[in-house]
Amino acid sequence: MAKIEPITGKYIWVPFDGEEYRIFFEEAGEGIPMVCLHTAGTDSREWRHQLCDPAINKNFRVIAIDIPRHGKSIPPYDYYKEKEEYKLTAKFYSGIVMAFCKELGLEKPVIMGSSMGGNICLHLAENYSNQVGSLIAIEACEYSPGWHIDYLRHSHIHGGETAATSVFGLMAPQSPDKYRWETWWYYAQGGPGIFKGDLYFYSKDHDFRGKTEKLSGDVPIYYMTGVYDFACTPEMTEDTATKTKNSECIIMEEIGHFPMSENPELFNSYLYPVLDKIMANR
Amino acid sequence: MSMFDNAWMNKWQKAVNGNDPMSWIGKHFSAEFLFGFGESEYQVSFLKGKIDSFTDEMTPETCYSLAIRGPAESWEKFCQEVPPPMYNDLWAMAHPLHGRVTLEGDQMLLWQNMRALMWALDRMREI
Repeated sequence: MAKIEPITGKYIWVPFDGEEYRIFFEEAGEGIPMVCLHTAGTDSREWRHQLCDPAINKNFRVIAIDIPRHGKSIPPYDYYKEKEEYKLTAKFYSGIVMAFCKELGLEKPVIMGSSMGGNICLHLAENYSNQVGSLIAIEACEYSPGWHIDYLRHSHIHGGETAATSVFGLMAPQSPDKYRWETWWYYAQGGPGIFKGDLYFYSKDHDFRGKTEKLSGDVPIYYMTGVYDFACTPEMTEDTATKTKNSECIIMEEIGHFPMSENPELFNSYLYPVLDKIMANR
Repeated sequence: MSMFDNAWMNKWQKAVNGNDPMSWIGKHFSAEFLFGFGESEYQVSFLKGKIDSFTDEMTPETCYSLAIRGPAESWEKFCQEVPPPMYNDLWAMAHPLHGRVTLEGDQMLLWQNMRALMWALDRMREI
């Protein structure tokens, strides 16, 4: 019998800010909509294990999107003649995610993102608290400096190999080699300058210092961070979570910055109790 | 043999030069570094992905483009079979947030050769 996964992939045209974006997404399961956001410079493939996990997709409609310029989501048609190099901003990122949810007709979705997908959760809590159900902010904190580096888009440097290798050490040595190197593979395939442009948001435009305490707490935020994350350390997440009303902080042992793809079995074991709470409170 | 003495460096050289993937990962990796393991410092010459030579005898002719220095304790943790958090990777140790090792010199060399250099450093765990 053929071994076919339950994932289906689709494209949707999403109007946002005067443009229309062709966005690719994968989905599996039924129930509470849960939109999964990939890390910088890569795409929805990071979430393949959560999409396929029956313990998750029996209760959740798991949806993993490629934001524009990533994976199978094409950039704007005029990307080749833009006046400035690509820089992801909090305004665009949070806006396009919520425009996608609106276009797909998702009612108060759970948003789960890692790294930059985790950091954007703070902006979603700030500006879209009436439109989201819960936020799962993985490897997230209020400020994560030191990654917007010019070498990541340089004519003398192999962008793919370097982007991938620069993040390899963010994964835990205990994570299975096959999954760590699969994550490396995804990173090696980003569009030119996209990883760097995403890191503009991650390290520059995202600066929630002084704002975290002011979040309303209307939406619960579950912070989840791995101990091997040297970009967003457990201490950085704990500090942010302490300042966040209606939040919970989960520190994950023997895992790093890409929990969902570097060690999916271990990560899912941390995720199940969070999803149980979300279902109970829905 | 003690960690970071000449015998240890010999073993690292053999581990790198005998590593099969290094032959293609490092095909274009030729550069001179200074490695500082606490008080022990070596100039290391990579040639096409192999450690061509190393020396701890610094002379006026000793050249290197990038110096990677850190306390011996940092490198000892890095070399553990399962390194602890923040010590499992050169960039983890060198990232400005952490500073377990320092980079001085032509830092573009690190980014240009990151894949091969990291692979070579990982061989330290095989000694």
